[in-house]
Amino acid sequence: MSQEYDLTLKISRYDPDTQLSWVQVYRLKAGRILRFVDLFRKINDEQDPTLAWSSSCEHGQCGTCGMKINGKPLLTCELLVENAVKFFKTQTFTVEPLTVAPVIRDLVIDMEKAYERVHFVKPHIIQPAPQHPDGDEYRISPRVLETYVEATRCINCFCCATACVTQKNYLGPNALLANIVRLMDPREMAKQERMDILYSDQGTPRCRTAQACSFVCPKEIDIAHFIALAKEGNFK
Amino acid sequence: MGKKLQIDSILRPEVLVIGAGGAGLRCAVEICERRPGTSIIAVTKVYSPQKSHTAAAQGGMAAVDPKDPVDKIIYHMFDTWKGSDCSSDQNIIKKVCESAWEQILWLERHGMHFSRTEEGRIAKRPFGGHMLNFGKVKAFRACYEADRTGKGIMDTVWAESLKHGVIFLNQSVACELLFRNGRCIGAIVFMEQNGKFLAVLAKATIMATGGKTRMYQVSTNCRQNTGDGLALILQAGLPVMDLEAVQFHPTGIVGPGILASEALRGEGGILRNKDGEPFMERYAPTAKDLAPRDLVSRCIMNEIREGRGCVHPDHKLPHVWLDLRHIPEHVHRTRIQEVCGFFCKFVGVQPQHELCPVTPTAHYQMGGSPTNEFGEVQKDAQEVVPGLYACGEFAAASLHGHNRLGTNSLLELITMGQVVGERVAAYLHDAEAPGDLPQDAGSHVFSQFSRYLASRGKTHYAEIRDALRVLMMEKVGVFRNEKGLAEAIEKLKELKQMARHMKLSSRSLIMNQDLLQFWELDHLLDVSMVIAHCALARKESRGGHYREDYPERSPEFQYHTLAYMTEYGKVTLGRRPIDMSIFEARGEHYEKFGIIERKY
Ligand SMILES: Cc1cc2nc3c(=O)[nH]c(=O)nc-3n(C[C@H](O)[C@H](O)[C@H](O)COP(=O)(O)OP(=O)(O)OC[C@H]3O[C@@H](n4cnc5c(N)ncnc54)[C@H](O)[C@@H]3O)c2cc1C
Ligand code: SF4
Ligand code: SF4
Ligand code: FES
Repeated sequence: MSQEYDLTLKISRYDPDTQLSWVQVYRLKAGRILRFVDLFRKINDEQDPTLAWSSSCEHGQCGTCGMKINGKPLLTCELLVENAVKFFKTQTFTVEPLTVAPVIRDLVIDMEKAYERVHFVKPHIIQPAPQHPDGDEYRISPRVLETYVEATRCINCFCCATACVTQKNYLGPNALLANIVRLMDPREMAKQERMDILYSDQGTPRCRTAQACSFVCPKEIDIAHFIALAKEGNFK
Repeated sequence: MGKKLQIDSILRPEVLVIGAGGAGLRCAVEICERRPGTSIIAVTKVYSPQKSHTAAAQGGMAAVDPKDPVDKIIYHMFDTWKGSDCSSDQNIIKKVCESAWEQILWLERHGMHFSRTEEGRIAKRPFGGHMLNFGKVKAFRACYEADRTGKGIMDTVWAESLKHGVIFLNQSVACELLFRNGRCIGAIVFMEQNGKFLAVLAKATIMATGGKTRMYQVSTNCRQNTGDGLALILQAGLPVMDLEAVQFHPTGIVGPGILASEALRGEGGILRNKDGEPFMERYAPTAKDLAPRDLVSRCIMNEIREGRGCVHPDHKLPHVWLDLRHIPEHVHRTRIQEVCGFFCKFVGVQPQHELCPVTPTAHYQMGGSPTNEFGEVQKDAQEVVPGLYACGEFAAASLHGHNRLGTNSLLELITMGQVVGERVAAYLHDAEAPGDLPQDAGSHVFSQFSRYLASRGKTHYAEIRDALRVLMMEKVGVFRNEKGLAEAIEKLKELKQMARHMKLSSRSLIMNQDLLQFWELDHLLDVSMVIAHCALARKESRGGHYREDYPERSPEFQYHTLAYMTEYGKVTLGRRPIDMSIFEARGEHYEKFGIIERKY
């Protein structure tokens, strides 16, 4: 019943003390429903405690464990061995860090750097709409919420930003998405400032509509759809 | 070897927040709103504050709108008191329940994307233990953002803190609290990403390091929840409270322990043993599968112990089944899709066609650092530590007593975070500057890290970690008894000794996971020891703490446990009275707040 796989992981390593980079090959046996984060832990426990990798919630909610597996950016806490073997049709996997920020060690990147783009678009409400006359919550119809609620599900895992075909001088899909959420949020009054961010020379004009972002998003958010709405000028 | 550890630089904000989760950041924002321009440094162990574990909470946050035509704040207060098995503090219950709605509005105004009703108002759903008319019918009381309420809170307070210019130290850990003449003046922080130690000296320090149940084999908590905060408190000679009160959620997904929400049973899911028998009918003929969390967890463990459980072929762990196959297709599709998706994603099971393997999972620690109603950390039952505050799951004020109701924790983060923020803002007014770095600053953490860096033993870290997790699950878990607890205490001493002879793989200070794990393991062992001692001393059963040898609640133990640990294994116990101010005020319905039965 419980099948075991013979796996080969070719993992990108980097040592900040010596500034050396190399690829290290690990061979291990693993049950079908171990996740890739479990494999890293297994390597730490049984072969090499120095391998550094990042995770937190380990169930797809926080976006800490993004890596490139055979070139595809994904959440390694959601990737079961059995599914990986099926999807990539191999038992050999290359494991690389995401490319959105410098590597600190091995598979751990400087997330803070990557987040700078998200900070830049100001994920808060810049200028809130006046309160409801009753003094309670602002009213938002479920129909209105529905138009942008998908975009609020983003966990800033930066998988899309890694896959994006535009890498230079671009805020990237997830940062733009954060801006678009507030453009569509009726509680945000500072629409002009948001439009300026959107159409700045680091904004949508640099998107080439290749949809690589939507294709890799682990939350299945159709990011390209939201960017297309922006390009069509839907937020005027 | 012989790397000299030293403090690289000193930072001097007005406020230091240790732990940038929902509670810590709600507090930081409150300070900024009341006192614009306050300089705040927030430290977080994760890679960005947005990644804090609050973001994983699914269900909702309880709050009664004072204008609600059917629900009343007093019902919420009663449910919380009853749920706690009469050991939460009534002054806290009152404060939290009364300010709940205001805090929901605060979140909404700051941009949280609550789910909405047809009228565009904040939608509400029912949740276990929340009832109308003093326990009569279920109440619609939990405000939610789909099945990602925690994420909504986290995103909101994080974005607001960015707006106010809070400075974050990410991938960094607070590793020693600093004091001068009994007043807390900040902490030493170790920055993992560059291997440097900083001293942060502040007028006020707020601890909000969150959950602490990673010492259990199966746990819903994130990798970082290793009890660091409590260990720092114990090191400083301060007490912790009610650590015996650990909540086990009955339905963790076997293996990783991921939470499979109560909603599944709410929608008709049935627990079955290996023979397919719907066993909850035998234990709780009326409430059946929807009996309280602690009770259902005990029933599952009992089935397993009596040989009616299964063993998972891959994870080699005992479990029972959750049957969701009979639930209509449209319910699967619209209401429980995300959580069912977890079974599919993490154990490769299709809940519409297959049985789902579940087992009780350590979920929440009701106990923590004792505080008064303003979140000021207590030295003992009477006195507080000037300059030191605590909120969130890390703290015990206590709203939850020995058992927490679902959706009351997120509520606590937000309400108590606000309360502490208000208090700190006032304190900053005429608080003295923290002065120079104390002479002995860093001595504790440097001796700890030097020891780790010098370790040349044979024992593997993983060996001790795994032994600890199994031990805690078996002897200090859902069921406890005198013999098991005494054995656990002895075994913990052994493990602590073994931990002194581990093998360190690399002596680098930069992003050295192995090194940090040594440090975390010490904390797990420390906190586990205190849990075991508190559990041994409480010779009764109350809420999440269940003693097979004392299965009933006893009036003799009508108090909070305080525990100090000066030396490993030497735990000194004390008491803090339970606040019964609602009962004592003799207002309307006061009789509901006496020592009542906890029956569902
Ligand atoms: C899966 C799951 C679902 C849940 N669902 C619900 C729900 O529906 N409703 C509800 O009310 N409650 C729920 N809870 C409980 C609730 O989510 C938590 O109690 C709450 O989020 C804790 O928030 P916090 O701010 O105290 O801590 P956290 O959000 O965990 O934040 C702790 C912070 O402290 C940092 N930290 C830790 N150690 C250190 C250190 N040594 N130095 C520096 N920083 C440190 C962390 O990095 C983090 O930033 C759930 C819990 C889980 C695990
Ligand atoms: S559609 Fe735009 S954002 Fe998405 S991958 Fe292509 S260029 Fe990048
Ligand atoms: S849009 Fe999707 S892929 Fe991109 S950061 Fe958000 S969750 Fe990750
Ligand atoms: S660890 Fe949180 S998403 Fe993978």
